[in-house]
Amino acid sequence: MKDFLKKSSIMFLVIIGFTLTVNGQSKKKADKATEDWRYEIDAVQTGTQGTYLVKVWSYSKKPEVAIDQAKKNAVHGIIFKGFTGTQSVPGQKPLTNNVNLEVEKEDFFRPFFADGGKYMKFVSLSNDGAVAAGDRMKVGKEYKIGVIVSVNVSALRKDLENASVIKSLNSGF
Amino acid sequence: MKNILKRKYFISLLMLIITSLGFSQAKKPTIMIVPSDVWCTNNGYMMEYDNQGTKVKIPDYKRAFQENAELLLVTAKLSELMAEREFPLESMEGALKTLASESAEDALLTSKTGAGISESPIDKLKKTAKADIWMQVTWTINQIGPKKSITFILQGLDAYTNKQVAGASGTGNELIGATLQVMLQTAVLSHLDNFNVQLMAFKEDMFINGREIIIRIKKFESWDGDLEKEYDGKELNTIIEEWLTKNTVQGRFSTVESTENMMLFKQVRIPMYNEAGTAIDARGFCKELQNYLKKPPFAITNKLMMKGLGESSIVLGDK
Repeated sequence: MKDFLKKSSIMFLVIIGFTLTVNGQSKKKADKATEDWRYEIDAVQTGTQGTYLVKVWSYSKKPEVAIDQAKKNAVHGIIFKGFTGTQSVPGQKPLTNNVNLEVEKEDFFRPFFADGGKYMKFVSLSNDGAVAAGDRMKVGKEYKIGVIVSVNVSALRKDLENASVIKSLNSGF
Repeated sequence: MKNILKRKYFISLLMLIITSLGFSQAKKPTIMIVPSDVWCTNNGYMMEYDNQGTKVKIPDYKRAFQENAELLLVTAKLSELMAEREFPLESMEGALKTLASESAEDALLTSKTGAGISESPIDKLKKTAKADIWMQVTWTINQIGPKKSITFILQGLDAYTNKQVAGASGTGNELIGATLQVMLQTAVLSHLDNFNVQLMAFKEDMFINGREIIIRIKKFESWDGDLEKEYDGKELNTIIEEWLTKNTVQGRFSTVESTENMMLFKQVRIPMYNEAGTAIDARGFCKELQNYLKKPPFAITNKLMMKGLGESSIVLGDK
């Protein structure tokens, strides 16, 4: 009995450890995908004051990691990439036109995009992150998941301007 | 005593540094919202004016601002959003009031300067408003059955050159039952950020390559000299071109026309600051050329006239 309990405990710990490692690795892979611009952003609505509503497509083996990463990808995309519009919703250009900004300001962006970093302040999942049936796809071994995210772009721009990461419209005068 | 002198010297130096820092700030371009000619025509806000015998139709901005609530909404929303970006817009209504009060003085000034340069009421407004960039708005309502949508166009026109420096446009969603005000507000919010990205690029180009203006050199008939008159073996037109090469940003300008009686320079890129580090505009830049020509060995009496903000004429030989 004692042996069985011991074995069960070890097994339990191994499973927990393994799950955490896999989750950690998935998270790392998702972060790597963000850095490698491996995500897509579609315009949903841009005519609300100060916010953009976008659908972010993220990739991961674990759907929940992809859903979580959508927030990071949305902020990343709005700063560096911009997004194309649809017939009735105009796309938006990125907040910076400096193509090397993420490298030049690495000291700022590393903690900014860390897990639980400041980027979280400017983004929220729409519908509590509920994913429509058509927005969950299995591509090879991975999931491609589309989540609608709201980004407070005016606060984000202000924050980057105050940190002298991007120039304000007013700068130089 | 020595200490007091030292302190006084230090304070004077400090004040000098602060003053020069204040002056070295470039002049912030001012932006003003105007409805486009198309919008004014579609909505019946045009008037006729007599341009030396020819009837010309121009927008009646005053009536448009007084009578059209939608224009007021678009203007107010754009102003609010630009103020949020720390770039408050100039009020056109204020400029129109100033223009009305100064119209008598302007008429007097035109007759004094003679036939050398003529300004339309729009040129006069540009000069009074002194807006560097005109934010021109146009919108049309598209209706198919009960569905309505708005096509919105936002253009940033450089008042110096009349070139479009920023723009954003598009047609919004087709909606049933939405009020025009809500649709207009959505259109403004959807397009302003893209407009500002281009405005930012224009501003950065201006800081690197200078502000673009047009310069004309003419001569009064009463003057016995002309632009081919030689000074130290060089013709006056060559001397003027050399001055421009030296004083424009990276020597950028193009001589469009050059005869013995006139010269026309376009795409003249003037610096944002002069050699003393003081911010200058088109008038300030041409004043320096005017003073250069007044000095020996040329000693040419001349008159500087401005058309709008970015077109200046120097007429040689008289005042």
